[in-house]
Amino acid sequence: MSLSIGAWVRGLCLTLAPVLAVAQAAPQAPSSQPAGGPSKLWLVAGGAFATLRGDCQTCEEDYPYRHAAAVLGDIGYRVNPRMDVGAEVYWMPIDTAQGNIRTTHLDAVAQFRPWASHGFFLKGGAGMAFVRNWVDVLGSDSFNEKALSVIVGAGWVVRPTARLGLQVFGTQHALAMGDLQASEGQIQDVIGNRWSLGAAVVIR
Amino acid sequence: MRRVAVVMLWSLLWGVSLAAAQERQEAAASNANGSPTTLADPVAPVAAASAAQTPDQPSWIVERRACEGCPPRSVGRALFQTTVVNVMYGLANLVRGQVTARVTPKTWWDNMEQGWVWDLDDFTVNQVGHPYQGNNYFNTGRANGLSFYESAAVAAFGSATWEYFGETNHASLNDFINTTLGGIALGEMFHRSAWLLRDTRASGKGRLWREIGATVVDPITGANRFLRGDASRITDKPAEMVPSNLALAGALGVLWRGTQGNTFSATGQPFLEVDGIYGNPETGHSRTPYDAFAARLRFGGGSALSEARVRGRLLGQPLSENVEFSVVQSYDFQKNDAYATGSQSFDATFGFTHNLSSRSRMWVLGWGGLTVLGAIDSLPLGLTEIPEEEEEESGDAGQGVSEGPRFYDYGPGSDFGVTALFSRNNRPFAVFFYEGRHLYSLDGVRANHFLQRGRIDLILPLRGALGLGVTGEYFDRRTFYQDADRTRVNYHYPQVRTYFTWRVS
Repeated sequence: MSLSIGAWVRGLCLTLAPVLAVAQAAPQAPSSQPAGGPSKLWLVAGGAFATLRGDCQTCEEDYPYRHAAAVLGDIGYRVNPRMDVGAEVYWMPIDTAQGNIRTTHLDAVAQFRPWASHGFFLKGGAGMAFVRNWVDVLGSDSFNEKALSVIVGAGWVVRPTARLGLQVFGTQHALAMGDLQASEGQIQDVIGNRWSLGAAVVIR
Repeated sequence: MRRVAVVMLWSLLWGVSLAAAQERQEAAASNANGSPTTLADPVAPVAAASAAQTPDQPSWIVERRACEGCPPRSVGRALFQTTVVNVMYGLANLVRGQVTARVTPKTWWDNMEQGWVWDLDDFTVNQVGHPYQGNNYFNTGRANGLSFYESAAVAAFGSATWEYFGETNHASLNDFINTTLGGIALGEMFHRSAWLLRDTRASGKGRLWREIGATVVDPITGANRFLRGDASRITDKPAEMVPSNLALAGALGVLWRGTQGNTFSATGQPFLEVDGIYGNPETGHSRTPYDAFAARLRFGGGSALSEARVRGRLLGQPLSENVEFSVVQSYDFQKNDAYATGSQSFDATFGFTHNLSSRSRMWVLGWGGLTVLGAIDSLPLGLTEIPEEEEEESGDAGQGVSEGPRFYDYGPGSDFGVTALFSRNNRPFAVFFYEGRHLYSLDGVRANHFLQRGRIDLILPLRGALGLGVTGEYFDRRTFYQDADRTRVNYHYPQVRTYFTWRVS
């Protein structure tokens, strides 16, 4: 499931091209700017290129950075023109030498634009992550773990007050797992960090 | 990886600088503010007034204030002052000789490459020091006209930048959570408390001393007021900083704590406990965060600061004439010679008020919610007490900073509880309190911790505001280790207090 950077960039371009086209065409489309303005709903759907590194503070081993694609979606409420709050689902599968690890983050998030007339935003949140970890040499079943998830990030949203917009973002997830099952045994005090660069469509 | 991180950092810095550079234009275009503490956008009225500005309009609108006594709004100044706060803390750490303060671009890069970790610092530093530092970040927002929620974002910004760029040790996840959430709770509590001290209609020395006193409580807002000249301007207080109700109670007495064998220590420990209730948490339709909060500080009784607790209402909704639903944010810290706990939580509460007679009433409050991050002292299996720390000749990171091992656990969890308060002539004479908390340890000893705390206060009015009180308290802790034998350990600490109490409302 892991992708090369080149493949991922190609995929992102293919995905974003129609979205960008829609976002640029939207100002001419009367339906995108109804007289009543955007609704209270806040929807985000997009993808990201992510780099993940799991680390154990008490281990000597230097763990590798792994790269993969991820998808995310938000649903929430527009508190005011500068702030949206809601729930985010972020899903990322990744292949390792030992098997496949699929991580699903479910976070409560807030996205805040300090300057009302500009698209720059800060994002933060916390919640849970669910980790399904297949260790092929130990069997076909997955080891399931729950983890504390924390997200921080920043980005830029194009057309922040319109019904349809586009955002690009950089985020960092922390994934505090406690234990992780590996082929050589259980690793304690594991904390994963995931850096993501991505883009998403925003519907209000 | 390096390329990804560079792009992320560049995007962040570019975004901030671009937005900051454009802020002046935005101000002219949409002059945002309000004293925006409500969930609804408070910007519109002031923005509209500003856009339609005429020479007859009061100067405070031109100055981008939400009201005459409110601070002028500036997001850029808030973020800049947050950075100044970080620099000040960094310099203070350098002066104190902390090796973690010797930051360089290389340490910044190392921290970004590593990402979040758990840190090993002292319990009080992590559970009190960091929230206090976060309160400074939060109040750079409040002091510059930002709303509660906007200031919360500023607290997160200050905390994250401190963790990555303010210290050489890796960015700490527990510090980030404690600094941000604790900073919000302490920050708004201190901000509102400082406004209680100010008399913005007064002048002269009396006014000056009140402003100085408020600056001690909330240094960031105070310093901004002195720098801007607001400390001597004659205005009304911002309406949202005037509570609907205020009650303060102090208790001075002696505490005896029991041990595992239920034997009470022969030596009593003196303590001073201060309880404050701001606003009316029992009732009211509220969308203004912290228009009602309760705070408790206890000094002595087993530690210099043995308890700190802030519980602030984020929203309140009456469900019927005497039933109220609220969402509250809680900050908790307890540390004494027997146990130490701390947490950041969010709870849903249901309150019920009932008049028992024409002069007596009862208020019952039940709650349940999530603990985002809790801390509890713990020992690995096989240890019965914390081993004495070996003095190292080198590698000492400085005051409050430890390189381990750490004898407390971190993890998320849940909490629930109930309290019943009986009062006569608006003076409480009996309070019953029970709280349960579950923590699932993610860092430290692998275990589930279940904490219970019960407390009964009985207060006899003596004369005027004076009273005589006695408190019985029971702290019970069960630790379920996740070892092969599923070992379970119980600890319990009974506690009795007697004290004189003094109450004003």
